[in-house]
Amino acid sequence: MSEFITYLVTGIALGSSFALIGSGFVVVHRVTRVVNFAQGSLAVLGAMLSASLLAGRLPHVVGEMVTVVVCGLVGVLVGVVAIGKRGTPPLISLIVTLGVSMLFSAAIIWLWGQDPVSPPGLDGFTTILGAEVERQRLLVLVVTLVAFAGLSLFFSRTYLGKALTASASNPFAARLVGIDVRRMGLVAFGLSGVLGGLAGVLVAPSNALSFYSDLPMALGGFAAAVFGGLVSPLRTLVGGLGLGVAGQLTAGYLNGSYQTEVALLLMMVIMIARSRSFAHEEAK
Amino acid sequence: MLHITDLVVRYGSAVALDGVSLEVGRGEMVALVGPNGAGKSTLINTVSGMLEPASGSVVVEGTVAQVPEGRQMFPDMSVEDNLLLGGWSIRNRQLDEVFDLLPDLAGMRRRKAGRLSGGQQQMVAIGRALMARPDLLAIDELSLGLAPIVVDELAEHLRYLNAERGTAVLLVEQEVTLAFRLCARACVLEAGRVVVTGPSSELAESDAVRKAYFGDLAELADVEVSR
Amino acid sequence: MTQMMSRVMSRARSRPQPRTLLVLLACAAACVAPLVLPDLTFFMRMVMAAIVVTGLSILMGYSGQASLGQGAFVAAGALTVAVGTTRFDLPPLLALLAAPAVAAGFAALVGVPLLRLHGHYLAFGTLALLLMVQTAMSTFDVLGGALGVSGIPPLGVGDRVVVGQLPYVYLALGCLGLVLLVSHRTVHSRFGRGIQALAGSQTAAESAGVPVNRSKVVIFALSAGFAGLAGALSAFFTPYVSPDSFPAAESFTFVIMAVVGGLGTIWGGVVGAVIVSVLLQVLNTISSQPGLPPTAAPIMQYATYGTLLVLALLFMPRGVVPSVDAGVGRLLTRPRVEVPG
Repeated sequence: MSEFITYLVTGIALGSSFALIGSGFVVVHRVTRVVNFAQGSLAVLGAMLSASLLAGRLPHVVGEMVTVVVCGLVGVLVGVVAIGKRGTPPLISLIVTLGVSMLFSAAIIWLWGQDPVSPPGLDGFTTILGAEVERQRLLVLVVTLVAFAGLSLFFSRTYLGKALTASASNPFAARLVGIDVRRMGLVAFGLSGVLGGLAGVLVAPSNALSFYSDLPMALGGFAAAVFGGLVSPLRTLVGGLGLGVAGQLTAGYLNGSYQTEVALLLMMVIMIARSRSFAHEEAK
Repeated sequence: MLHITDLVVRYGSAVALDGVSLEVGRGEMVALVGPNGAGKSTLINTVSGMLEPASGSVVVEGTVAQVPEGRQMFPDMSVEDNLLLGGWSIRNRQLDEVFDLLPDLAGMRRRKAGRLSGGQQQMVAIGRALMARPDLLAIDELSLGLAPIVVDELAEHLRYLNAERGTAVLLVEQEVTLAFRLCARACVLEAGRVVVTGPSSELAESDAVRKAYFGDLAELADVEVSR
Repeated sequence: MTQMMSRVMSRARSRPQPRTLLVLLACAAACVAPLVLPDLTFFMRMVMAAIVVTGLSILMGYSGQASLGQGAFVAAGALTVAVGTTRFDLPPLLALLAAPAVAAGFAALVGVPLLRLHGHYLAFGTLALLLMVQTAMSTFDVLGGALGVSGIPPLGVGDRVVVGQLPYVYLALGCLGLVLLVSHRTVHSRFGRGIQALAGSQTAAESAGVPVNRSKVVIFALSAGFAGLAGALSAFFTPYVSPDSFPAAESFTFVIMAVVGGLGTIWGGVVGAVIVSVLLQVLNTISSQPGLPPTAAPIMQYATYGTLLVLALLFMPRGVVPSVDAGVGRLLTRPRVEVPG
């Protein structure tokens, strides 16, 4: 039982990072129709940057906040490159962001080297139903839930959030009322940077990240986003948590090396099984 | 307050508007009529800044807001949010003013725009445009797909709006009788050019208008027969 | 074949184009290069990349979707040869012929549902597929397991077997020629005109009666078939196939080559493969200079890839071949093949 709890909590923590990265995909895709491949790199950047800032004597919370803000700004830069040029089709933008993710890899190796980095997190353990659980992993879940609540409030309550939603649902009408849809796209990229950075900051204390982690992070996040049909942040959260837990249970009870594959397999199954309904949703 | 001079608009190599000139005075209501593909929507979209002119000029003294063809709701958002977004470009957003002008909207403010009837959506579209406090309202197809009784109601609102607020109106309308009834002056477009401009009462008698609308009248006749 | 040759010749005679000359020159260079180059492995890898990228370029150019895991189909082809010859005693030649078919079938199976979706599900789907293929290879002993498959027999018929690297290089060049020919015939066939309409606007193509989804699946399977062929060749050339033979980075490189060369063009794949391969070779030489830190190589490689992609897409979005083509075309009649009707 305690073993099960441990796997569950670990899975939820990992799934939370998938959900955060996945919602970054969703936010950008809804407004711009672009799939931002650099989404995983932003998480890695978050991990590296927070490690450096915290080692450079910035206190906790401040260090993490600065990191997330910087990741948001970098996200805007990614957006400028990906959609800044008028009339870039989404396929080309996808490949541009693939290029950007490679530039990230180069920069990260240059600045931080090739070894995995793990910034300090919350120390110690808590006992839940007889299981020893890292407090950092619980923190991940709590922060993720708060982030999703914030995201939901942002989209439904703030004027900027409503403008983003409007740009996503009817770009023509959005332009008509004077909303600069391309600028909204950049806002979305910034938001995705914040979410990616947050994921990196949260997950890296328990799972060290290196420049090489961008691909698994991006794939995990994309898999979570697929649950939400690339449009729903809430279903992305559910998808991410489900993927994380399924992966950890597989790793724990079957074989540790199949964790990623389980997530990918689930993603494929969902994409294939729901291809009809997705196509229908997009046509609407 | 709207001065269009020698306006040319192209889609790629196709010329949609070819040297159009038109004036709309302060508080004036002008109808824009003509067959399909004459360039009416292009003109409206250029006036509201959605399209760039290839040459010529569009000068607006004041602000323009557009009621687009097909109403173009934000379907998953509430009526209130749709209206609020209409005021994106101004600082002072007043829902109450619009509710005063279009009282029906107040009753449906919490409903999702996508769930409304066509007439209700058209009213939201007008309300959303009014949120920007425009000096000129550019309306693309007011009556399209709506029941006559709904159209009459919308027309009444427009007339009231024009009288109370002095908002000028540029109205693209397939239904010529409605257009001429509502607007004192009209402009006939054909193949991207202005054929004739003048008081609606005179145009109603003119050959140019008959010619432009012959097809529509014939269609109406067909409908009558088939009934 | 001879008929076609004469048609090409007659067209060339009536309109001597620099483009034709360029192609002939390239063919001649390709035939001579293996005899003078010191490093055949590099050349072979470049030719195999060109085969893969030719298919990828058509896929991306016409279906508007990218495959980030084309390596999965290279692997399928390589495995067909490796497993077919070592476990099932398939004659090498038969395995070589079966490889493209297996890869194409594999692609069709995945492509039917994925291509129905918009939003680049295919890009991630293929990438996921590649990673799963890698896992499957290292897990199942039939596919070689963690150690991989070795002992792949040389290509040959009966007792006559191929010896040395050179024959394989020429075989690969021949296959590249075949792939280019098939691509040319496909693009300029009735089906090809359908997919050209697809590249313009999917809705327009649909209303013109082009079976959009089926066409996309066919192109996808074709590109996978080419990849499978390249995989089969690599399995004979380097008679060892392991999960590490098909890294994701290589599949990304294919995409970069396709983009640099020009999407949806026949020659874009070859041009892109040559430019990127040579560039990488040069970089490798530079970064292995003494005195540079060991991280110099990956930094330079990633930076070059990234810069190349971003700059190429933003400033030469149609790729090298169409851009050069347009420049030359201004001096001459368009070298595009006429579309009747």
